[in-house]
Amino acid sequence: MRPENYEAQRQPPSHEYELNIGPNHPGIEGNYAFKLRLHGDRVLEGKADAGYLHRGFEKLMEGRLWIQNLAITPRICVPDPVPMEVSYCLAVEELCGLEIPERAQWLRVLQLELSRIAAHLFTFGGHAATTGMYSPMFWGIADRDLVLDLFEELTGGRVYHIYNIPGGVRRDAPDGFLDRVRSTLDYLDSRLPDYDNLLFTNQVFVHRAKGVGTMSREQALEWGVTGPNLRATGLEFDVRRDDPYLVYDDLDFDIPTEEAGDAWARTLVRRKELVQSIRIARQVIAALPSIAGPIRCPIPNPLAWNVPAGSVYTRVESSKGELAWYVVSNGGERPYRTHVRGPSQMHAVQVLEKLSVGCRLEDVAQTMFSLDACPPEVDR
Amino acid sequence: MTELIKTPRTGETLPVKAGKRTNPLANVFDELVRFAQSRSLFMLHYCTGCGAIELPPSMTSRFDMERLGIQPMVSPRQADILLVTGYVSVKTLKRIILTYEQMGSPKYVIGICSCTVNGGMYWQSYATAKKLNDYMPVDIYIAGCMPRPEAVIAGLRELMENIRQGKADSWKDYYRHYDHYLGHQQRLFGETWQTPTDVIAEARHYGLFGPDTLGTHTALLEQHQRPLEALEMKVDIPELMARR
Ligand code: SF4
Repeated sequence: MRPENYEAQRQPPSHEYELNIGPNHPGIEGNYAFKLRLHGDRVLEGKADAGYLHRGFEKLMEGRLWIQNLAITPRICVPDPVPMEVSYCLAVEELCGLEIPERAQWLRVLQLELSRIAAHLFTFGGHAATTGMYSPMFWGIADRDLVLDLFEELTGGRVYHIYNIPGGVRRDAPDGFLDRVRSTLDYLDSRLPDYDNLLFTNQVFVHRAKGVGTMSREQALEWGVTGPNLRATGLEFDVRRDDPYLVYDDLDFDIPTEEAGDAWARTLVRRKELVQSIRIARQVIAALPSIAGPIRCPIPNPLAWNVPAGSVYTRVESSKGELAWYVVSNGGERPYRTHVRGPSQMHAVQVLEKLSVGCRLEDVAQTMFSLDACPPEVDR
Repeated sequence: MTELIKTPRTGETLPVKAGKRTNPLANVFDELVRFAQSRSLFMLHYCTGCGAIELPPSMTSRFDMERLGIQPMVSPRQADILLVTGYVSVKTLKRIILTYEQMGSPKYVIGICSCTVNGGMYWQSYATAKKLNDYMPVDIYIAGCMPRPEAVIAGLRELMENIRQGKADSWKDYYRHYDHYLGHQQRLFGETWQTPTDVIAEARHYGLFGPDTLGTHTALLEQHQRPLEALEMKVDIPELMARR
């Protein structure tokens, strides 16, 4: 270091100071920064600093073929990539007027729910770690790996699958796969009481998370909050039920809600969603063997595929909230314009900025993790 | 023993000390130290891109990196390994370079993911830096999109082996060819780019000052260099009293 840069200078006494959290900080979810102005350990103002993960997705997609874009769509949200793929495929299918075979629809639902389970297990670990408890993180990540093993068997990839394709899915479930899914689900189900003891009824966690980052239902609606964060304020809204896609209207599931709207309620909603996802996945396993038929409808030559002109907006429920693609085609072999409406962009920027005001310094990280924001999707 | 090295730019001759080893046990010590170094590595906890999602599985119960003596570390000053996990946007690259220069030597860089090798998926993106090798020396690349935890661990084991054999010395390259790396950094960040670390003085300190340490780019740096000023803080006393 150059010594002249580090000469001690007498600073006037100050009660107000600025603090940067991130981008290289274990209390930050991924590559993301947050600037705080503090008085003591009370936050006076928070400012999000995004852009560390910007890759220019929307521009990149304009330069690639419709089919090539499939490979980069899951990369927008790393912990929960399947909804990205599925909703992009749904958009292209809607533009082309393709009818997806039923078996493919069920396989997609299976993937979506497994991905939700994996993402929630990951989130619990992160949230617990910000309150100083590291065992849930180890447990959650180890159990998530079992789900990733299933994905690997079905699709060939652990994290990024690129298994969906406009018109269906790439291949059928291998022999015996459904049994293995069933046994993994049984195992996860049997683990839930352990998780309750370790985390959800643990007084350390309850006392730390209760009352942190509280928002009311009106605020949540005003700020564009969706998904589990919205349901934690008591509003029963879920795209799976209110705007059903694929075969969700044939499935039987509840929409868990909580009233408090704080970090504790948000975590509880996810915990209850885990049960519902297991329930949905079990229904899919039960139904799949009786649904015969192709897994993909015929599509034109993907390398010279002119998608009819038009614009669509398709939305799905990801583990973070409502996720949507707005895709415009001018009849060419590349998209004219694509835009992704990600839930984390609202959660990590405006909601986090507002919720952090007035909370204590040590709760900022917890607020961020309880919102389950995903920085790569904020920046794209 | 002092060697005189002529700098290409100003033409002045600079004395550079080449250490002479007189202790007969020096080689034994070296080997011991290298062995100890290779078995206790702290890697910086900086998730730069999507490859970082495979690190939690490799660090926790299932693949358990800790059995190899590798642990995450939160501060760059105490870390040995800088993992660059995936694509680096230009904004992140600045932070990576700052972080890299703050780390104490010996330090090792691992580029995980194809994106660090050649741009990967984002080869035509306007926002990412394509080859990490241009901006800092890299010890090991682990290719894949994304590499599995087994691959990450295999890469780390190779690094350990290289450290034990004394082959992992890319950090010296940064001092020896600072001009080259700085040139690439300036190309991306503009010619006023500077970091708080005086790399040239460090190169002299480590005895790694070579003919390629200085050059046209370091001349530019010298031209634009300004000392960093300590932050001024403003206190509004009446407001403070009112708050109280
Ligand atoms: S190589 Fe693949 S997984 Fe790795 S950072 Fe690039 S896109 Fe992400």
